[in-house]
Amino acid sequence: MTENNIYDASVDQDAKDAYFTASQGQLIWTRFKKQKAAMFGAWVLVLLILSGVFAPFLTPYDPTIAGRDKDYLNGAPTIPQFCDDNGCSMRPFIYAVERERSIQTNFRWVTTVDTDKRLYVKFFVEGSPYKLFGMNFSTRLFGLDDGFIHLFGTDSTGKDIFSRTFQAINTSLAVGTIGVFISFVLALIIGGISGFYGGWVDSFIQMVTDAVRTIPAIPLFMALAAFIPDTWSAEERFFFISVLLGFIGWPTLARRVRTHLLTERNQEYVLAAQLCGASSGHVIRKHLLPSFTSYIIVDLVISFPYMVLSETALSFIGLGLKDPVNSLGVMLQNVTSADVLLNYQWYFIPVIFFIVLVMAFVFVGDGLRDAADPYGDTKK
Amino acid sequence: MVQFFRFTMVRAALAFFTLCLVSFIVFSLMELVPGDCAERYLAFKNSQGAQISIADIEAERSRLGLDRPYLERWTSWIFNAFQGEFGDSCILRLDIGQLLGQKVWLSVGICLGSLLVAYAIAIPVGIIAATSRNPYLNNGLRLVSYLGLALPNFLLALIIMLFSTVVFGDSLTGLFSPEYRDAPWNWDKIKDFLGHVWLPVFILGWSATAFAIQTVRALMSDEISKLYVTAASARGVSGRRLLMRYPARHALSPIINSLGFDLNRIFNELPIVALILTLTEAGSLLIEALARSNDQQLAGAIIFFLTGTIVAINFITDIVLALIDPRIRRSILGS
Repeated sequence: MTENNIYDASVDQDAKDAYFTASQGQLIWTRFKKQKAAMFGAWVLVLLILSGVFAPFLTPYDPTIAGRDKDYLNGAPTIPQFCDDNGCSMRPFIYAVERERSIQTNFRWVTTVDTDKRLYVKFFVEGSPYKLFGMNFSTRLFGLDDGFIHLFGTDSTGKDIFSRTFQAINTSLAVGTIGVFISFVLALIIGGISGFYGGWVDSFIQMVTDAVRTIPAIPLFMALAAFIPDTWSAEERFFFISVLLGFIGWPTLARRVRTHLLTERNQEYVLAAQLCGASSGHVIRKHLLPSFTSYIIVDLVISFPYMVLSETALSFIGLGLKDPVNSLGVMLQNVTSADVLLNYQWYFIPVIFFIVLVMAFVFVGDGLRDAADPYGDTKK
Repeated sequence: MVQFFRFTMVRAALAFFTLCLVSFIVFSLMELVPGDCAERYLAFKNSQGAQISIADIEAERSRLGLDRPYLERWTSWIFNAFQGEFGDSCILRLDIGQLLGQKVWLSVGICLGSLLVAYAIAIPVGIIAATSRNPYLNNGLRLVSYLGLALPNFLLALIIMLFSTVVFGDSLTGLFSPEYRDAPWNWDKIKDFLGHVWLPVFILGWSATAFAIQTVRALMSDEISKLYVTAASARGVSGRRLLMRYPARHALSPIINSLGFDLNRIFNELPIVALILTLTEAGSLLIEALARSNDQQLAGAIIFFLTGTIVAINFITDIVLALIDPRIRRSILGS
């Protein structure tokens, strides 16, 4: 009995020791792990990021016009299957399609599915070459020896929507990363100056920040993006758009940095450092910044989906990215026509991926925010 | 009373200053974009077949006053803007005030309508969510508000269009039926308008509602656990009377304060939703001004107008808050 008690106490002590000596990062991670929704979101997010990064390997074709299937325009998805009327096979297969134009079809192109001709799906096939991390590869995860496979169908020029979707995830993540990074640096500098010096500098900067915040971002953004010269290449556009997103996104974060600094700079440990003769830069870098790194990370995760969504909206109306750069907005450009709405609904498949991507970010951001709140446990 | 008047004046001055600052930012950005009005107009003329020389561009520039210094032009622009005069559009050569006309009021009306709908739903639902301990209700609402974030309005508009086209064979677009488009306002036109306008209002209000529910719920749950609520219920006040008289009044005043920014968010979505639903009478004019003709004069006017509306709302909410919230009133009166 007593032995048991001692044993329990020591375990308890260990747990306490672990708790009190844990670093901020460990504490956040422990709290984060407890939230099922956030953990699930995190897994989905990791999966999506990986699939974005390895998009060329996972997809069978080049997402640009180079990889188009010129015999299967606006084609419906071809779903691999194992069985049909002619029996089953261990290896999944799709049917061959044929496109013809003759007097029987009234001289229009008509695509017919030939259910007798099977095309077997192979894995690790040699496809068109691509670059990954600066190296050249040509092995694709799956594909056909002969003919084309289109899991999500094709668009009006015969580009594979499956390949484009994965490429688009990659693009959106890149745009988001650049945008978030730029707005982060701006917010840190502007909010930092405002919060650290206080006084009239603070009042003035806050006035400007508030003025910037009242301007509706997307209309302004459209106004700026509309004036990109047509002669710019797709890559230049891509870079410019990401930078613009960053320049418009900073005020919210800057405000938060400022508020935090204003409360922190009057704390005793800052005074102590100043009394020891530390310079402003040293105090900011060594004492103030570490005190709210976790909040900043959380804010960055939360603001990420907004960047992605702004880019999508902008590209959608034709002022953002353009072909051959793929993004969800670019892919959705022509879907409002009645033709697409009535006949080619597979154009909307990428939307699902993006809702999942944004949801994953929101879940993770929310979970991180709760986990980073040091009083989260004691509140309830 | 005098103090209150002074408070109003200070707020008005601040709003005015913000507007000047905004106009400066907008004006500078419009200046920064390559090419000016004269070049653009003459390029447009050129595409119509007229022969244009450098001298023509210079003449046009001095006619429009574009050769005057930067600050001088900004001052005259802002003076005119406050009088509702935005000059002529670059390409169309029409007075911008006339061009925008009732379109602007329709757009602002639709946005305010969505804001109203959003809060009409969010306030009761948020209060119920904060007070109820029903896990299904709470999780359901959480999911809705996440969806409100993850499914931006324009995707929602697309999905509704897809659905209605497939199921009803009608894409539900436009603000008026064709026969009423140019008709003068009368009872039938209003009926027709209301029959169309609910969809944009719903779509624009969608994520605003999700956000608002989240906010109302958070504010309510903060207030509801405070001691004065316990004290009130100990005195025997209960049910709806308790909620309405005590925590709800406290929780709702920060919301009034954030109305301006909610409107900002709705304005953000307006042009794109307008494009999808082909509301030519509303926000898609902005897209037209930008994408088709690069009309910086028109774009500047529209952005200035939208921002002006937000600043005005912020000013009004400040005053309203001072009137209805005794805590703020006291801090102004300084007693």
